[in-house]
Amino acid sequence: MKRILPFIIILVVLAVALTSAWYLTRSIPAAQNPPGNQTSSSPGSPASPAQSQQPVVTGVPGAEPAHTHGPANAPLKLEEFGDFECPPCGLFHPILKQMEEEFGDKLQVTFREFPLVPTHQHALAAASAAEAAGLQGKFWEMHHMIYDHQNDWKKEFDVRPIFEGYAKQIGLDVDRFKHDIDGEAVANRIMQDGKRGHSMGVKGTPTVFLNGREVNFENLPADKLRVVIQNELRSAGK
Amino acid sequence: MRKIYILASVLSLLGLADALYLTIEHLTGQTVRCTILSGCSEVLSSQYALVAGIPLAAVGAAAYFTVFSLAVLALFGYRIAGKILTPLVIAMFFVSVWLFYLQAFVIRQFCQYCLISAAITTCLLVLVLSLRWFKPAAQ
Repeated sequence: MKRILPFIIILVVLAVALTSAWYLTRSIPAAQNPPGNQTSSSPGSPASPAQSQQPVVTGVPGAEPAHTHGPANAPLKLEEFGDFECPPCGLFHPILKQMEEEFGDKLQVTFREFPLVPTHQHALAAASAAEAAGLQGKFWEMHHMIYDHQNDWKKEFDVRPIFEGYAKQIGLDVDRFKHDIDGEAVANRIMQDGKRGHSMGVKGTPTVFLNGREVNFENLPADKLRVVIQNELRSAGK
Repeated sequence: MRKIYILASVLSLLGLADALYLTIEHLTGQTVRCTILSGCSEVLSSQYALVAGIPLAAVGAAAYFTVFSLAVLALFGYRIAGKILTPLVIAMFFVSVWLFYLQAFVIRQFCQYCLISAAITTCLLVLVLSLRWFKPAAQ
């Protein structure tokens, strides 16, 4: 019996490990198509049923005025909590632009700062740069610039000169930008957006809410997000 | 000697749990999202996270399971298992050092679960090397 016992122990551990892995793989919703990976399913294919069951979350107010894009009376209000250094956020950026083009004045997009510090060393600097540009009315121009060139600056040691270069390219007053980027107004806006995110249960980026309901991460690829938006539009009766 | 093998079994079980968790996270895509505490999204979505199409975490899980099996067999008197255990753990340690280097200097992000795995492998290395010193005393 003593000769067989170790083999029994090994087999038991193997069985427990495989069963646990199988159970956990089934219980966690599979996000097989992260942002950027296009799936072969056609538009109109059902999004995750969990989406319609998501509760509406309000949370505390974020920075005001919020950075919005699209008409204020749009039936669809999409709010993204993003981190400029986060790779999936960078992949989600063109998807969101595509949705804005497709849904036009039916969709209003709001961007909220959610820099993941200390995970991303330049996330706070990037958020500050976007907010400093916002003080000169060019938040979205800087937002696009930072995301479009994410791979150019994220591995650099000192990103400030790069962001100052972007500020110059989009026509900002660079001296004011350099002053504002360390200012209280910028820090407060980031802090308020962060508080809103935490109050809404945001734990990672990108986290997207559509009319107050969180869009599951696996529904963020373009073809799935399109279905989620279409379904929401239908339920809004527009 | 027995205590060392028991400790090695327990440590390898912890390593197995850690590597299994990472494998599941990888396969289900959960870590593709950036989170407050973890740089795992960068690490697990990097080109180094796959070996011939197999998640590196799954290879790690298989390695920990092998270590566990060998430690249990050695505990029950299978001498050959104890002899295989040492080179395997040494190889795992060097792989861990390489992965630590990749996280620190190439990906420039640390995944805490990968660090836990590296710590477990280091402890295992200390244990199997200590077997070398115990042996003469035991004989």
